[in-house]
Parts: sequence; structure tokens; C-alpha cells
Amino acid sequence: MITNFLKTIVQFFLKWFAKIYLWRVKPHIIVIAGTTGRHWIKEAVADALKEKNFPVRANKKNFNAEIGLPLSILGLPSGEGNFWQWLKILWQGLNICVNPRSNLRKSAYIVLEMAIDRPDNMNYLLSIVKPRTLVLTTITMIYAENFENLDEIALEYKKLVKALPWDGLAILNFDDERVKKLAEFCGRVISYGFSEEADFQVKNVRKVLDGQEIEISVNQRSNQRRSASIIKINRFGNHHIYAVLVKEIIKEHFKISTLDFFKSLSH
Amino acid sequence: MSFSRTKIIKLSPIKQMELLASKIPDVISLAQGVPSFDTPEIIKKAALKALNRGVVAKYSLTYGLPELRETIEQKLAEEDMYYDFEKEIIVTAGSIEAITASLISIIDNKKNEVILFSPSYTSYPEAVKVAGGQPVFVNLIEGGLALSQSKGWQIDFKNLERKVNSRTAAIIICNPNNPTGTIFPKEDLLKIAELAWKRKFFIICDEVYKDFVYDTRNYADLHADLIKETQSARGSASDQRNTGQRESAFFSLAQLPELRKIVIRVFSLSKAYAMTGWRIGFLHSDEENVKEIIKVHDALVTCAPVISQYAAMAALDFADQEIEEFRQKYQARRDLICQHLDELSDFFSYQKPQGSYFVFPRITRSARGSDIERGSRADLMTRRARGSSQRESVSWRFAIDLLEKAHVAVVPGIAFGPSGENHIRMSFGRSEKDINEAMKRIKEYFSI
Repeated sequence: MITNFLKTIVQFFLKWFAKIYLWRVKPHIIVIAGTTGRHWIKEAVADALKEKNFPVRANKKNFNAEIGLPLSILGLPSGEGNFWQWLKILWQGLNICVNPRSNLRKSAYIVLEMAIDRPDNMNYLLSIVKPRTLVLTTITMIYAENFENLDEIALEYKKLVKALPWDGLAILNFDDERVKKLAEFCGRVISYGFSEEADFQVKNVRKVLDGQEIEISVNQRSNQRRSASIIKINRFGNHHIYAVLVKEIIKEHFKISTLDFFKSLSH
Repeated sequence: MSFSRTKIIKLSPIKQMELLASKIPDVISLAQGVPSFDTPEIIKKAALKALNRGVVAKYSLTYGLPELRETIEQKLAEEDMYYDFEKEIIVTAGSIEAITASLISIIDNKKNEVILFSPSYTSYPEAVKVAGGQPVFVNLIEGGLALSQSKGWQIDFKNLERKVNSRTAAIIICNPNNPTGTIFPKEDLLKIAELAWKRKFFIICDEVYKDFVYDTRNYADLHADLIKETQSARGSASDQRNTGQRESAFFSLAQLPELRKIVIRVFSLSKAYAMTGWRIGFLHSDEENVKEIIKVHDALVTCAPVISQYAAMAALDFADQEIEEFRQKYQARRDLICQHLDELSDFFSYQKPQGSYFVFPRITRSARGSDIERGSRADLMTRRARGSSQRESVSWRFAIDLLEKAHVAVVPGIAFGPSGENHIRMSFGRSEKDINEAMKRIKEYFSI
């Protein structure tokens, strides 16, 4: 009873600190959502931006739900089961959102994993943060015991897609029919996957001794395809192939401005 | 009813000792390898939360909860091991189920011998027998017992090469080794790997104590260069791997992608996270191996306990700090028990354990009371006549004598294989209070 009450208090303050921080700093938010493979895509997106010298920050561990998400935005650890630790974290959160000299202000890009496990979760998370770029992985039942069916989960992700601004970007996995359908509700879409319709299509996957070799074919706006060079990844499983595809999309789509470049140098 | 298969399987001597100890009041047990700590709060809370959400009453997928396997994949990647959570990781009911399922899938009529180091974990031979195989022991050679104690227990490679033949199905390596606390050096592991590759047998790496490695600075110095060498050999292609990776001082053969088809790595959360009762662990290997092992796992347990899977998820995600606290406490306890053993140097000599929470001292001649010695000499004749028996060994007699007279339970070394004889295993997984009291009683037993 007391624990739940304290949790509600912590959740409330963290939400507002995160909102104030976002309002003041106005970072470019990239949300990675879907039921599987978020972690590796989050890492790949952050890597791609770092390679291009963008000042970027991503969730630590799997801080991706009601309490974890604001902690990620504020760059704070979890207080776990320790009351005093939580008090300290709330104090730090307050400092971060009001202190103009906070180091976190320099994170112009924040990559956030977002996870839902019940129908009202998405509304809550969207009340904290709105994405400017969205990567959607898959919609499956495996983590979602509280949903009736897959279409109900898809409705939650539809809310996320609809929350994108007019100039926002949705990066969608076209191998998942439900994710693909969400393209109808977005402005700009770049798709990825094994599907022939995907803008960034993976072909000729070959498992080798220490990983996988893949060929990425990119759909040009003129409807012509150009083949990228073969990429070798030292990991196994399709989720790593998706991560590489999204990384390529980010690298191609995000060009650093001169101002951001000098900002990153000072960072 | 003949029970021909189970007749040759013995109840673990550790359990036998525990059973005997339970009949004597006021016994302090250094026998069972159970941590003295309770499961960390954060893990228990996660299990309760899952229970209250009503998600633990049904089977999970046979492979285990996908989110847990994803977490395991992430955790493995931090240690430079790369396995696909969808096809190459199975969540098991502890490590012994993982080992048994692996053995059942590997052993057949043509290849039925499994090489085990002696001394090594007492349940391996029985698991091999359960799988219809035959254990073949290769002795570890006890290094110098001088103060430097730098040699530790070493693999007798000549003996190993002699024991490998066309019937060899696998070798099981417990690293750090239970009961000796030895950490096998990378060069030795690679030699075994080369042999396994050439002679076509599997390596089962049981690394349940890998989080309890002591004197890490020395150990890290020794191995950091080797790890760096491996990484630089992989060249720029390894850029993806470096994400979130911390330098690990512990080398595992499962880190080498070239060996993934012959290495099956097993890990349990029992020791590292003080979760012995939760029965939860996992194995990982190449897809080709895992797709066979999963059939046995399905037949044996259907899936690992689901509530424990939720607990494991929290453990892997959030309990790093607790593991480090445990490690530091075990290191202090190791030093404490070694200090006591130093005071008993007339009766015991020992190799300082580099890992795990066991010490495996040799019982010196002066420690063996005349009864034990006489018994052993008389029994030698009997043993020769009717084959060796654990209960007739010096270490067994000593352990029983210690239990009866000093009320301290330890495990006789013979339980860990033939070369374990003349040793006892003491666990420093127990509290400082228990260790001090047990050692005080042992000193009184020797009239010190």
C-alpha cells in the first residue's frame, strides 16, 4: 500500500521533471517501439548518430516504461527498492530540469526505447514524450498478456504513429503486416525488411562462421534499386539484420548541420 | 523390474552428507554449495509482480520467455558472446538440466564416453549415466603446495589425449572448477578446443561460478592481453560488438565464434544471484546443436518454471551490484577460511581457490587418526577384492569422523572423482559466523 503510494509520487514527479526538461531543451526524440528487437535497434541508431558526430544519448538498460522512460530522458539511474535513493534521484531530477548548465542539455538527440504491456500505457508515455522520428519493429503477442489480440496492440502503436509531427519520420518494418498498415497514418515513411516493397531491403543473407553476410538494396525515389555493398555483421539472428538496416537508414537520412558539428566538438 | 539404468546411478554424496548431518543436532554444514545470502529483493519483487499480474500460471514457450532470452542475449554480448535469442538460447531448469539435456542429445551408441576432470562436480558422472553414457575420468594434477601456491590444479594433457578415442562424445569443463576453485587458463582451454575439433567431440562449458573470480587484478592482468589479442585479430569487423561491452577478465570458449558448433555453454543463476531454489539457468550454442537439445528439454521439463523466468529477467537486468557485493563477501570469506587452514597446516595443505566458493584441502597424514588410517589399510585389501567404494575411502571416513566428533559437515573428496581422494571440500558460501565456528570445532577436533 505504502509502496504503491510512494511509487505513484515518484512516477508523478519524474513525469513532470522529464516534461519540463524536454520543453526547455527540445531535443530531437527518436523512439524505438514494437514488441521485439528494440534494444539492438536502439543501439544501432545511437551508434549511427555517434558515427556522424551527433550529440546523442540513449536509454540505459531497458528503462522503457512508466518510470524507466522519464529516468532515461533525465539520464538518471533507478533507485530500485531504496527510498532514500529515490529521494536523491528526485532531487537530481529537479536540478537537471531547472539547471541551465546541466551537461544533459547538450544531448540534442535522445534515442528512447518505448515499451507497453497494457492498453493505457501508450497514452501515459505519450503524455511525457512525443517522437520526432519513430522506428517500429514488430507487433506480436509475446510480451502482451494484457491485450485481447494483436489488433488491439496495433491500435496502441497507431497512437504513437499519429503522435508524429507533420515533418516527422516513421521507419517501419514492412515484414510485419500490422506495422506496414500503419504507414497509412504517417507523413514520411522509410520502410525496411526482407519484403520487396521495403525501401531498405535485405537480400542474400548468408550465415558464416562468425556472423552473417547480407546485401542491402536501397529503393531510390525514382523506383530504381541500387545495391549497397555486402555488409558483414558479427551477430546471429534476423533482429540484428533489422538493426543494420535501420542503422543504414539513419546514416543516410540524418545529415549533421555545421552548427551541430561544432556543438558536438565542444561536447 | 530391474532398474538396470538407475542401479548404477548414485545419490550425490553431497546430499548423502547433508542427510547424515540432518540427523545430528547442532551441525554446521560446510558441505552443500548453497549461498548464505537470500535472493536479492529486486528479484523477489519482480517475481511477486509477475505473480500478481497473473502471467506465471501458464507454460512459456519451450525455449523460454522471449523477453528473458533477449535479455540473456544482451548480457552475453556484454561478455563478448554472440548468440541469437530466437534460435540459440534455451532457458533451463538450472544448469544440471541443461547439462543432462545436452548429454542426452549428444550421446548415442557410437559415441557414448564423456570425459570428466577429476576432481570435478560430483553430479556430472551421474548425469552422464542418466544419459546412457560412460564417464571417463582425466585427473587434474595438484600443483606445488608451497606457499606461493601458484600452480593450482592442472590438466594432465597426456592423460587427456590418451583417453580421447572414437567413442568420445563430449568433455565437461567446470570453470571455475568445483571443488578446487581453479580457473583454467585460456591456453589450456584452447588446447582442449583444438583436440575436440580434431577428434570431433563437444565441449560442455559449465560456468556457473564465473561471477565469483577473486584477485581479479592479477587475473585480469594475465588475461586482458589475451582478450585484446583475440579482439584485434577480429579486426574492424568487430565494431558492432563493442557496443556496451565491458572488458571481462574471464575467458570462455563460447567467446570464439569459430568454436560455436562444438561448444555448449551452460550458466545457472543459482549461485551468482543466490537463487538455488528457483531452478533457473540457460544454455547457448549454435542453432544446429540447440535445435536438437530443445527436443530433450521439451521432453524433460516442457519449460523452465515461469515465475523463475520472470525473476531471472530482473536478476540479469538489475542485480549486477548485488553480484559484486556477493563476490566481495565471498572473497573475504575465502581469505578467512584460508587463514584458518593456515593455522591447521599440520593437518591440511591447500591450493588457494581463484574462483567459486569452495576450498579443497588435502588431508595430511597427521590429520588421519589411527582409526581412519587402519580402516583405510584394511579397506584397501577389500577394495582390491571387490572394487572401489566411496564409503571405504580415507576422505569419506575422515568426513564421517569429523561429522560425528566435531559436528562439522564437509564433502569427502572422493565424491569428486578418484583424484579427489585424500581431500575434503569446504564451502565458504556460508556466513563468517558459521565458518569461524566450524573451523573452531575442527581445531578442537585436532586438539589445537
